[in-house]
Amino acid sequence: MTRAEVLEQIRTTVYNCYPDMDGQKLEEDTVINTETAIDSMGFILIICKLEALFGVKIPERQWAKLSTVGDVADAILKRLPKE
Amino acid sequence: MRFDHFEQLLRYWADERPDAPALRYETRVLSFSQLRDAVEKRAEELRASGKSCLGLLSDGSMDCVIELFAANLAGMQLVMLDENAPSVLLRQLLAYTDIDTLWGDVDLVEELSPFLTPGVTDGKGKILFFTSGTTERAKAVVLTDHSLCQSAFNGSAKLPLSPSDTLLCLLPLGHVFGFVCGLLWGLSCGACVALGRGTRHYIDDCAFYRPTALSAVPLLLGFLMKQRLLNPELKLILVGAGDCPPALLQSAAAMGIRVSFGYGLTETSSGVAISVQGDPYAMEICPDDTITLAEDGEILIQAPTCMMQGYYKRPESTAEVLIDGVFHTGDLGRFDEEGKLHITGRKKDMLVLPDGTKIFLPEYEAAIAKLLGNPELAVVLGDSRPLLIYCGEADEQEISRKLLPLMTELPRGQRLGGVKIVQEPLPRTATGKIKRWELQQKGWQA
Repeated sequence: MTRAEVLEQIRTTVYNCYPDMDGQKLEEDTVINTETAIDSMGFILIICKLEALFGVKIPERQWAKLSTVGDVADAILKRLPKE
Repeated sequence: MRFDHFEQLLRYWADERPDAPALRYETRVLSFSQLRDAVEKRAEELRASGKSCLGLLSDGSMDCVIELFAANLAGMQLVMLDENAPSVLLRQLLAYTDIDTLWGDVDLVEELSPFLTPGVTDGKGKILFFTSGTTERAKAVVLTDHSLCQSAFNGSAKLPLSPSDTLLCLLPLGHVFGFVCGLLWGLSCGACVALGRGTRHYIDDCAFYRPTALSAVPLLLGFLMKQRLLNPELKLILVGAGDCPPALLQSAAAMGIRVSFGYGLTETSSGVAISVQGDPYAMEICPDDTITLAEDGEILIQAPTCMMQGYYKRPESTAEVLIDGVFHTGDLGRFDEEGKLHITGRKKDMLVLPDGTKIFLPEYEAAIAKLLGNPELAVVLGDSRPLLIYCGEADEQEISRKLLPLMTELPRGQRLGGVKIVQEPLPRTATGKIKRWELQQKGWQA
């Protein structure tokens, strides 16, 4: 799976969880906390849904380091099985 | 039941209800007698180790609960740590609190082991919790198993659980509200405590354990309700550790769930006032506590059985707030005609977030101002999240990116939820202090 595909899945998941955000730009460098409506609980929900979607598990201790949309994509890509 | 110590609590229920479930974690169930036996066995091992101060990198598991009770029975000082805190902070806290052994994630324990200290000689019975716990200003509050047991009694005297109840413990045990109201409250009543399986199971722990009672911070309750995650067996929710929007309490009540609101602080071993019936914001004072109001409305607490011994190695900080046995909370309140307590605001430069954590604003704002090179800013609560009010010409996104290194170091709930650029000067007193109350009243939206 390509990075672009992962990013697209992240956007879709966010828009599903936060319908009010649909259409809002979510770029790789978008800072999740300050530039979106996603609060700390919403972040947990989105990560759990992404983990289920991609079949990966990101250690909770790493979650705090995921600041931007690109950070989340990297964390998923790192754990996807090599094709 | 009122217990003097953890050991008494464990032995009492092991004798009274030996086969009744005490703890559940995932599919594992431990009866009261099994819990007592496991704790006593582990306490023996800890005594033999010769260690004196255990830092518990709490993960909320059954083994974690056994370890914390065992350390107390073994006469060790126990320090409750957040396993998700940055390593650099954990190292500082190890040194500050004299930890000479650690329990928790194997890799993290190994990483931190070089920073262990020689330990303590007078730690018996002490349990340290951190307040405003995410900066180097973090203070460890010295409580004891005795004060925590009295706090659990105070709560259960107002809100008793029955042995047939299952209390779901979702909150971190490193937070005194989670420890007392998520764990001790249930065990003191002989109820079963279901231990949450970690953050990623917030979404399905209610469905998995089918609890009848739950303690939650406002942010978590809002999430569980919005996502419709509460189970039909749930009949009581105790909300505490933060301001709770009325709509949230009303929604829960509309679902047929009794909602009580608690007020307390780490320094008082958790709750000192709880609403029992009627208006959830009108709280009755707990049996062991006396609450009065200062002339300016500040809530003053006398809690002889539950009061902290002080801030660890911070006698000057202790003396500022604990004066002749009276704790000066920095919170503002009023009594209604029935003598019930209502919280009306805060006197301190402190933001209390809906997840129960606190931000000390002068320090938080100074760190932001340093990065942005502009001191004309303030942080308020907007949509229940910290919101930066920035005075001057700037771009919101640019500010957000400049602050990224600082924000990444903070727990997610304490990071800024947005930036607002304003042109008018911030309201200030004659001495230059920000008029926080006036600023907060403007109804900011993140």
